[in-house]
Amino acid sequence: MGPRRKNPVSRRDFLKNAAAGAAVLAAAPAATAKPATLERDTPAIPASPDVEHRPPPAVEILTAERTGSDFMVDVIKSLDIEYVCANPGSSFRGLHESIINYGGNRRPEFITCCHEESSVAMAHGYAKIEGKPLLVMAHGTVGLQHAGMAVYNAYCDRVPIVIIGGNIIDATKRISAVEWAHSVQDAAAPLRDYVKWDDLPISLPHFAESTVRAYKIAMTPPMMPVLLIVDGELQENPTPNDAALQIPKLSSTGPPQGDSGSVAEAARLLVAAENPVLIAGRAARTPAGMIYLMELAEALQIPVIDQMDRMNFPTRHPLNQTERAGELIAGADVILGLEVNDFWGAVHSFRDQMERTSRLVARPDAKSITISAASLFFKSNYQNFQRYPEVDVDIAADAEATLPSLTEAVKRQLNASRKSALADRRVRLAAAHDKALQRARDAAAYAWDACPISTARLAAELWAQIKEEDWSLVSNVALMSRWPVRLWAFENYYHFIGGAGGYGIGYGAPAAAGAALANRKHGRISVNIQCDGDLMYGPGVLWTAAHHRIPLLTIMHNNRGYHQELMQVQIMANRHSRGIDRATIGTTISDPPINYAKLAQSMGVYGDGPISDPKDLGPAIARAIQVVKRGEPALVDVLTQPR
Amino acid sequence: MSSLNRVNESNMKASFLVILAVVTILAPFATANAQTPSGAQNGKKVFEKLGCSRCHGSAGEGMPQTGNGPPKIAATHLSLREFVGSVRDPKGQMPPFGAKQVSDAELSDVYAFLQSIASQPKLELPSSANSDNGKRFYTSFGCYECHGLEGQGSAQTGGARLGPPQIPFSGFAAYARQPTGQMPPYTSKAISDAQLADIYAFLRSLPRASPAKEIPLLNQ
Repeated sequence: MGPRRKNPVSRRDFLKNAAAGAAVLAAAPAATAKPATLERDTPAIPASPDVEHRPPPAVEILTAERTGSDFMVDVIKSLDIEYVCANPGSSFRGLHESIINYGGNRRPEFITCCHEESSVAMAHGYAKIEGKPLLVMAHGTVGLQHAGMAVYNAYCDRVPIVIIGGNIIDATKRISAVEWAHSVQDAAAPLRDYVKWDDLPISLPHFAESTVRAYKIAMTPPMMPVLLIVDGELQENPTPNDAALQIPKLSSTGPPQGDSGSVAEAARLLVAAENPVLIAGRAARTPAGMIYLMELAEALQIPVIDQMDRMNFPTRHPLNQTERAGELIAGADVILGLEVNDFWGAVHSFRDQMERTSRLVARPDAKSITISAASLFFKSNYQNFQRYPEVDVDIAADAEATLPSLTEAVKRQLNASRKSALADRRVRLAAAHDKALQRARDAAAYAWDACPISTARLAAELWAQIKEEDWSLVSNVALMSRWPVRLWAFENYYHFIGGAGGYGIGYGAPAAAGAALANRKHGRISVNIQCDGDLMYGPGVLWTAAHHRIPLLTIMHNNRGYHQELMQVQIMANRHSRGIDRATIGTTISDPPINYAKLAQSMGVYGDGPISDPKDLGPAIARAIQVVKRGEPALVDVLTQPR
Repeated sequence: MSSLNRVNESNMKASFLVILAVVTILAPFATANAQTPSGAQNGKKVFEKLGCSRCHGSAGEGMPQTGNGPPKIAATHLSLREFVGSVRDPKGQMPPFGAKQVSDAELSDVYAFLQSIASQPKLELPSSANSDNGKRFYTSFGCYECHGLEGQGSAQTGGARLGPPQIPFSGFAAYARQPTGQMPPYTSKAISDAQLADIYAFLRSLPRASPAKEIPLLNQ
């Protein structure tokens, strides 16, 4: 808890009492006796004797040494939050000023963002690396509405973020028409469907309790964003000296573990299975999660399909069989899903033709086991909970926390002959892994010298430049045929951060910047393969990266279009047999072409390109890496094939 | 804006591999049970539904001339029992087709269909097919969106590698008209037979890639 300072009167109470007389005057702190604006109240001419006998006029106190927002900073500091991301807004001006002055702009340090969606997405990317929240501040109405999509991404992606929205609750205190337009009766309402918890503290003790509680809730699996609406007056009023301002102790909530009976049954099925398969979604919440998952996989010699929502499993591990997902699921007798967002989708195919149809691709007699904390938390409106999966053993628990007990249960059930059989299975899987890697390399050789540059070539050229560095891929790979995870050796938890969660465009660039901000103190080279359409949602984050000296290597995947959507229009045009040559209308961003190198340069970021000849790509990346090693962001614009 | 991807990657890949694999299974056989015409008719439907034609061609002619391409499966010398066994438990790249996907009775009908089409004419690539025109159509009709500008395919879209084609023209054309997977249908109203032939000629003109082992960047 930070130091308390004397300031016995709140602004609101003082103004009320001032009308009644001079008693309050005696209570005014000496340090505030001479604000410049008081001169306006000083009589310009000598007072008459009659006036001199009147009580002295009330002196309006216009300054305060310590306000509610100072105490709020004490609370925030108690949570060891490193940064606060925000685009400035008047409804949290008190907190803003207290953070940079009273708090010394350290832990948290203010990160200037150009859009609230960037603020939240930066916090999203940061949490993927650091495993804990940043603070985001946003204006109660316009700011939170700007932030909405990014909050939804974080909600779907099970990422903790603490958000404070400013508001002016007392209608009689709203300064102007603008402040009326920016005030709201229930500021959390637009986001309530996709935050885990929200509150409206009406006092400083309430703020302290709710902030610590919010942090605790956000960090308990399933992790999600939380939202506090903080009144502007509560921030700006002086802190009364008799206020019982204490900061509650933060204690972490243990993640929910699977019950012993279900875990034993899951182990029994897995040990007995001849062709089991493990599907990992958001299985590893922390670096320890990767280790636990490897221990289970090696105890069972089970093939692992990594959906890469997190960095779950090393890509070059012999049990990593992600490239064989289809055939393994089709032939499996037991399927284990760990924090799989869409288990139904993992065992079914869906056909998008005139009649939308689906079919089970797994064996009908296959047993299925799921472990997911998502089963513990549901909301109704937004449908990210996916289609109902029919599961034999459904364990509502955090997978990472449950893995050690599951592994122990498996080991207890393994006898010597079973271990021998599993060792044979590992040999077969290792051979299949090697073949799959070779198939990926053979496939990458196609269009090797193509212009625009193939996404496989881009991935290979980039890997050649970073593989000897301490690197971290801070972008998703889904929109480039997953080439990095097919060709690179991902080994450490921070080597990958997964995707957006809610598939909302505009996440990529700011999430990469946030992850790079987290990686900075570790000296890692953060690499962002950046889709052009995504960057155009909020290019201002380039300025944020330059301003805060965030070392981030951005390689543009500049395919000049929204190709997923272009294909959707193609599907409709084909279905109607109208020809598809006009499907580019509304789906491409090629006329005029955008020069991302110049865009970067305009914001103080090193920019190179556009690179269209694959022979030029490696040297361009090498030049940019030198800039990043100096602690600055760099961008290379690469003209690429659609996927 | 949200990005909606209805393409199930693994299923697309699986279905493509299926096509490649169906080929490997079917070798010479001894003709067995006589099949009824109605069985052959149903077999044709099943053959198309399963996507067998994508690799083996609509007349089961395969691409035996390419060495490791899909084999000819029409007029097979396998017995019906051997044929079913090879579909259930293939030895090559083809993924297995379980009883959930296709019943023994349906496979019997497919067998009958394959035996019945032995003498039917197959759709040949016309000599007039023009690869330059095909390159233009390949782009303007948006084939590159899923299959890449050089037909290299994509694990993301599920678009198979087409350059150079691994299936005969008849299978290529049949699939474009009546796709059994996620690909949107290209009717004759949207694209003519001649244009399809031009596209195929373009794809056929594309070189095979250098072996990955000869590319240092692909051996890191």
